[in-house]
This record gives sequence, structure tokens and C-alpha cells, in this order.
Amino acid sequence: MALPPNTSEAEFASALAEFAAVVGNDWVFSSEEDVALYRDSYSIYWGEPEERVASAALAPANVEQVQQIVRIANKFRIPLYPISTGRNLTYGGSAPTLSGSVVVDLKRMNRILEVDEDRHFALVEPGVSYFDLYNHITERGLKVMLDVPDPGWGSPIGNSLDHGVGYTMAPFRDHFGSHCGMEVVTPEGEIIRTGNGALPGSESWQEYRYGVGPSVDGLFAQSNFGIVTKMGFWLMPLPETFLTGTVTVPRYQDFDALIKEVSYLEDSFLIGMPRYGSPVRGSDFLGGSPAVGRLMENGWPSTDRLEDFVRAERLPAWSVMLPFYGPEETVRASWAAAKRRFAARIPGAAFQDGELSRLPLPRDVAERFPLKPNVGIPALEVFGMVARNPLTDSDPSDGHADFFTFVPRKAAAVSEAARVLAETYAEMGLPPLHNPFITPINYYSRCFIVATVVPTWRDPVKNARSRALFSRIIDRVAERNWGTYRTAPAFQEQAVSKFSFNNNSLLRFQEKLKDSIDPNGIISPGRYGIWPASMRNRRA
Amino acid sequence: MKTATLAVSFFAAAVSNVGVAQTAPSAENGKVIYNKWCVYCHGAVAPAEGPGALPGTSALSVKYKGRLPAVLEERTDLASEFIRAVVRGGLFGMPITRKTEINDAELADVIAYLTGEKQ
Repeated sequence: MALPPNTSEAEFASALAEFAAVVGNDWVFSSEEDVALYRDSYSIYWGEPEERVASAALAPANVEQVQQIVRIANKFRIPLYPISTGRNLTYGGSAPTLSGSVVVDLKRMNRILEVDEDRHFALVEPGVSYFDLYNHITERGLKVMLDVPDPGWGSPIGNSLDHGVGYTMAPFRDHFGSHCGMEVVTPEGEIIRTGNGALPGSESWQEYRYGVGPSVDGLFAQSNFGIVTKMGFWLMPLPETFLTGTVTVPRYQDFDALIKEVSYLEDSFLIGMPRYGSPVRGSDFLGGSPAVGRLMENGWPSTDRLEDFVRAERLPAWSVMLPFYGPEETVRASWAAAKRRFAARIPGAAFQDGELSRLPLPRDVAERFPLKPNVGIPALEVFGMVARNPLTDSDPSDGHADFFTFVPRKAAAVSEAARVLAETYAEMGLPPLHNPFITPINYYSRCFIVATVVPTWRDPVKNARSRALFSRIIDRVAERNWGTYRTAPAFQEQAVSKFSFNNNSLLRFQEKLKDSIDPNGIISPGRYGIWPASMRNRRA
Repeated sequence: MKTATLAVSFFAAAVSNVGVAQTAPSAENGKVIYNKWCVYCHGAVAPAEGPGALPGTSALSVKYKGRLPAVLEERTDLASEFIRAVVRGGLFGMPITRKTEINDAELADVIAYLTGEKQ
């Protein structure tokens, strides 16, 4: 059984007894069997000494219990690691950054405190999942639409605090960006409310997020400055309809013009999240058709070769699916305007009208709707991409580690990122997943993500290979001055080290805050590279 | 009258709770828990494989190739200990499920549902 750092078994037993007096014996998990439930199922160090494991877990029922837990942790200098639903798999799951931490499992704090369908916001606790909030809204017929990430078992609070994303209109896809008002238990056990929540009795906590003076909300995301116990979120009014339209363009070199036009529509708030594709690539996700594989056999092809390839395949080089939200009159008008603009700027652009759906979808239609996240329906279907499939049937992975790098919204940047990733795979002796037809993901509306997925295993030999690849990818993209926006604890230190402008002045500033706000270093030590002073020598 | 009704309801609830602790797992409640936690991956809605497939059903379809049903609720061969081990330990892409999500009594109910007569 792991112990908290610098804590004897007797001290830990005393601390657990005090924790139990707060949350009750049933909600202190300290047996080996129970603590194992807090392992990261997708750990890239599974079963190795470096795997991050908890010493115990506590499941408080309310904010007062969280305050008391924090005070006890200060008394015993025991590190805590709060989780909301603990389902941010590939980013650490429910396991702590520092082994020996006591996980504070907030799943029992699962109240939906308010959903206002006229002012379009929700106020929730950390244990509320997207499934819970969706069911609450649909069962009551409330006229608001959620923005959901791919895994519906995550929580609005956890996902936003991890800078997670969704699929609808730009202001809602950025889940942290669409929050309004937080309640936080500080490392000293005090409750603060941000924005207008600091006004006693405020009726606009979820409507004005800045209050007066400095806004501190950002300190509580991807960090270790407090435990968030409530959070408000702006919601989109339920659109009357949802319409899609798909644009295809014929040539490889049309991608830049396509991106520019889509960005115009996106930044004008005329469309939701565009979904780029490449019909000639022959696959929706990385890889590509055997023909693309043959094209790549002699290294990265020239532009002329790519144009020849596209012509020979007789398929469009690129596509983009555009989603429209609103009354039928406006979505049809927006799609018509979009077609006019593409046709005027890209010779050979072609269009395919999608079906118009009236919202909310009837339940039986919603269950089978192919674009669930685009209309705020939580699901888990994304895991199908990494579940056992005919290609992996003989050796399916046990998990995956996602790597997303951010690049400018330009065709050249996407191509360059794909090439860097392909070269990194080749350098590591692996077949390339990336080719010149890789398309970006546009979760955050103002930049592109180019992604790769590395398998994780419960086999240390295979995991060692995955770690080497993942680490090398971080280094290679950093050589091009690109970073990643989140990663599992195993790589947080390395990812943060790339944001080193002016001798790591940002991290040094964060450390000064840590020393002041959390002098005993009890909240999530090491999360995203921020160590308390007493542990700063742990940094690589 | 209202007070009396409440009192009776409270008494019934108290009796019921005691009963839960002393009686066999409830397949009926297991179905409720299954529909809350399991069905998003292991449901029967959607194609067995390919676009739009549910990950658990799809993975088992690939694995068993028709030798066994891909939908868990159609299986008749699942052993209690196997279900418990997979829920608590995870298997391939399926992650560990904590007791704050499905507690031991609820897991027993799910097992009763999956190993007993489906309703």
C-alpha cells in the first residue's frame, strides 16, 4: 500500500481516522482492493514503479466536508488529488499526479443546482456528468442545448477545468471559456466564489463572470490552487433546427482557400464546428487507403505528385462538413450564402445538402443520430475508434494516449505538422500514420489541432515503446515551436517544459502563486509541472 | 391525511431498505444500473460494427465473430466473478469502475440482471 510522502503508517492511520469522522467510514477507501479502483486504466506506466497510484480515496458529500478534508490534509501535510468524475481517460483518469496522494473523489457531489432555460445557463457540482445534465434537460423539456465532448461520462466541471472541448458553436465548444462563476475551496479550507458570486446574494453569478478586479478563474484549470465545488456554464438556446452541408474541392492545393473560407464562416458565427475530411485519403481517421500507403513509400511526396495522385484517384482532395443551427429560414440562407462564397473562390467546388433535423430530436431518433455531439447528445461512441476492430483483433490495446498539437489555421501548417509526426514515427521505426491528406480538428475555433493516438498497454515492454514514441513526439513538435494543450501526468512535466519563454518565467510565476496560496503544498502537487517549494527538486 | 400518507411511505421505505440489505440482488434494479452505466458501450442500438457502432458491442462482435452474441444482454454464459472482475478491473479499452459510480450492491444487481432472466 502506498503512503503519502514523508508520512508514517501511524500518522496516515490517524489522518484516515480524522477523514472518516468527516465523510463517514463508508466513504474512506483505503483497502488495497478499493484503492486499486483509482488506478489510471490507461496508464502508460501500468504495473511499473513509476505508475502514479493513490494511498487512499475519500468521497465527500458536500462542500463543508471538502473544507474539513483540506484542513486535515494541512494538519498532516498529506497531498490531496481532487477528481470530479475521474473519467478523463488518456489524461490520467482518477489517478493522482503524485503517488501517495489521497484522491478526493467528488462523484457524490452530483447536484444539478439550476438550469435556466430563459437565461440559458446551468449551475452544477463536480460529480454531475454530461449524461446526467442531458437527461435532466431532456426529461424536463428545457429549451437549452448542451455542448458535449466525445465521452459523455465526463463532467462539465472536470472537462472545462482540463480545457476540454465540444462540437457545437465556437463560444460553447470551449468549455472553460463558456463557464460563468466558480465556487472553490482554497488550499487553506476557505470558500471563495468568483465573478459576481462574490456579491453576497448575487442573482447574476452565472451571467457576469468578472465581478470587479482581477479575474482568478483561470488559476483553477489544469492546476493545483484549489478544489472547485460548483461551476456555472452558459448554454446555447435550443436551436429550432440543425442542418449540415458538405463542400468538396478538387485539388490538393485548394486546401488553403477552403480553410480561409471556412474560417470566415466560423469567425462570423455562421457555422458550428467544421469537420474537415479528405475523400481521396480513403479513411476518416489517420492512416489512409492502400493507395495512400503506396504514395508514401518513397517519402513525403511533392505537391506535383500529390496533384497527380488526386487526379488519378478521381476523388476530391478535401471536404468539409458545415453544421448550421437556428430557425429553418436562417440555416438554409446561411448554407446558400456559404455555397455562393465557396463557388466564387474555389473553381470546381461541389456541394452536398445534408438533411435538416428539427430539435429536440425524438428519443428514438436521438439514439441513432450519427452526429450526436454536434447536437449536444452525450455518448461514448468515440471509443469505437480505439476499441478492438478488425485491424487490431489479434492484439487490441488496453488504452490510448492522445497527443494533440496546436498549429495555425493554415494548410501549410497542417501539412508540416503531419510531416513532423510521420517523420517521428519513421524515426522510431514505426509505420507512419500521417500523410499529406491528414485533416485538422477545429475544437478551438481559432486554431487547428493535428492529432495522433498512441496505444497504451498493461504490458511494460509495449508501454516502454509507447512512452518513447510519445515523448519523442513532444520533443519533435516543440522543435517546430508547437506545444500540446493537455496530457497525462506522465508527460505533463515535459509538455510544460516547452513553454519556456524567458527562462520559464510563466512557470516561475505560477510557482510563486503556489507558494503563497498553498504553502503546505497539499493540492495536487506536480500537476502540470507546478510543484510546491518542498517538492520542487522533483522536477526533471 | 397527508401526514399519515407520508408516515406510511416513510415506514414502507424503511422496511424496504432493510429488505434490500437482507435479500437477494435485484435483477430489476440491475437493469436500471445497466441502462445508466453500461448501455452506452454495450447496448443493442446501432450497427454491430462500423460507423456509429457502440464500442463494447463492436469490440465483442469483432472478437466473437458470431460465436457468441455481441450484445451482453443476449449472453447466457456470463459468470458472476467474470463480470465483477471486468467492472472493477477494466478490460482492454473498458476502464475500471469505482464504487462511487457503481457500488457493490448495485454491481450485484447488474450481475443478477446479466446472469439471470432478462426482463
